Amino acid sequence: MTQPAIVAEDLTYHYGDNIAVDHISFEVAAGEVLGFLGPNGAGKSTTVKMLTGQLRPKSGRALLLGSDVSRQTGQVQAHIGVCFERNNLYERMSGIENLRLFANLFGISGFDPMPLLEKVGLSERGKDRVEGYSKGMKQRLMIARALVNDPQILFLDEPTDGLDPVSAEAIRRLVLEQREQGKTIFLTTHDMMEADKLSDRVGFITDGKIVALDTPRALKQQYGKRALKVEVSDGNGGVNAREIDLDQRDTSSVLQTLFEQEQVVTVHSEEATLEDIFIRITGQELVI
Amino acid sequence: MNWQVIKTLIIKDVTLYFRDRFFAIITVLSLVAYAGIYFAMPSSVDETLNFALFSPDGETTLDMTFQGQGVAFESLEAEEALINAVEAGDYTAGVVLPADFSANMAAGAPTELTLYYAANLPAELREAVEALFSGSGFGASTGAVIINQEVIGVDRVGQQIPLRDRALPMFAVLILIIETLGLASLIAEERETRTVRALMVTPMNISGLFVSKGIVGVSLAFSQAALLMLVTGGLSQNPLLVLLILLLGSLLVTGLAFLIASFARDMMSVMGWGVAALLILVVPSFTFLAPGLSSDWVQLVPSYYLIDAVDQIVNLGAGAADITINLLVLLVTGVGTLVLGGYVLREKLYES
Repeated sequence: MTQPAIVAEDLTYHYGDNIAVDHISFEVAAGEVLGFLGPNGAGKSTTVKMLTGQLRPKSGRALLLGSDVSRQTGQVQAHIGVCFERNNLYERMSGIENLRLFANLFGISGFDPMPLLEKVGLSERGKDRVEGYSKGMKQRLMIARALVNDPQILFLDEPTDGLDPVSAEAIRRLVLEQREQGKTIFLTTHDMMEADKLSDRVGFITDGKIVALDTPRALKQQYGKRALKVEVSDGNGGVNAREIDLDQRDTSSVLQTLFEQEQVVTVHSEEATLEDIFIRITGQELVI
Repeated sequence: MNWQVIKTLIIKDVTLYFRDRFFAIITVLSLVAYAGIYFAMPSSVDETLNFALFSPDGETTLDMTFQGQGVAFESLEAEEALINAVEAGDYTAGVVLPADFSANMAAGAPTELTLYYAANLPAELREAVEALFSGSGFGASTGAVIINQEVIGVDRVGQQIPLRDRALPMFAVLILIIETLGLASLIAEERETRTVRALMVTPMNISGLFVSKGIVGVSLAFSQAALLMLVTGGLSQNPLLVLLILLLGSLLVTGLAFLIASFARDMMSVMGWGVAALLILVVPSFTFLAPGLSSDWVQLVPSYYLIDAVDQIVNLGAGAADITINLLVLLVTGVGTLVLGGYVLREKLYES
């Protein structure tokens, strides 16, 4: 059996009396994309900090690629890439200088930044100082920086937050590329659509505890409601909307009657979104 | 410790430091300005004998008595004012006459007077002043004169020092503080922009980060101060000892930079904390610019020992044995501040 890329065992952290992460355990398989979802203050960032060696857990432990993050921090960090939510590039340095700096910190000799810059569409602006980049360009450079050491595990914190649709889509393509290359990705996001699209599994965290962890499909099946949204003509040029529950015993007869007796204009299948499911499980809105 | 990582971080910090236009300009400007001020200040001392005079009975004939001898008197209203003025260096010396001075002179009877000297008055000048009022000068034209002599402040007979040389240690401290602000600003910026978090998820460990910051801080501060001393001739006596003092001072200000960066989150708060530190560190300079002006409490400020040591070596030709206490105090406070600053900053970095 393949060793999991990430293992969290009873991971706990508290700031004074305030418990940020409360005995959470989970595993992420190699090559898997895990979407980690939760409202602000739920414990997402603290979890990521413990997994990436920025914080030492108060109890429990985190294993990355089989190594204890707290004890073999440097060894673990050599194989991970982290893309932060907020821009934290060196603004008075160029894109090339930023990438070279981190390549040197990872001890990579003969590093050529151009292929990475080309990958993120910044090869033309590589020599410019980062302070002149747009938000989308900075975010792409942050992803490039996270890939400098060709990491086996990528931590992406809100990688598309606040970006225009074109830049956001470019970032998602990059993430998918990395997934296709077999990287393990730990994706923290508020964007349910994004999590649904990119993640193999999603975990919901609230008040420091994981309340659900499964594939989006399984969560939808378990917590969602399948329905058809049907629009029928009202005979006066307008339409009336009807919702037909697909999981009732008489669904087929209801549909048959509808098509026989009414003029059906449109039919759409409806399924619960991850956001609906999150609200149903936690009783909280995701974006606070 | 990975020296390749430390080298990378040092190159990064020096690059960023000099790409910050404010600190790049202020570093060069301050060096040029302090050296410029040093050379613009008089290199010799005006030896005209200006006396402050206090005479309770209104005696004003001294001007006439010493006419043509390059001596001038200015009457002050109280003895205390005279002492303060002499202490501040406004006069070569002060003369206090007794209430019966005029009557004794008229009667050809013996009289006495008190001479107040500035502490840094050269011995030859002091002798000249004494001679003026004793038997060979003033006393010869009057009756016998008994002279009481009072020295205000630290007595530096025969070692009068031009103002610019007295100010030189202060310039060195100012240069060190400018570098403190630069380093503190650099670290505060790393915290504010969270670039330090990006560094902390690389194989670089936290001790590597502090070693590199420490090397950058000490090197920038030390090289600037050493350059100033070199340009102004401050390394002409005991250069290794002066450089050692500056190195210990650089440890102190680098530790201070760590502390400032721990409490400041942006450029403005760095300036706020930095100016507060600057004021405290510069206060001891006044003891050397105007001897006797400052109180003993300035000896509680570590920079006193830096300024005093530089002053003693450069201006008074002191050797290592003369400044042992200074060396010890600077070593303890320098290393102590560096360790304390590093510890506090480390905790703040983990918090953020």
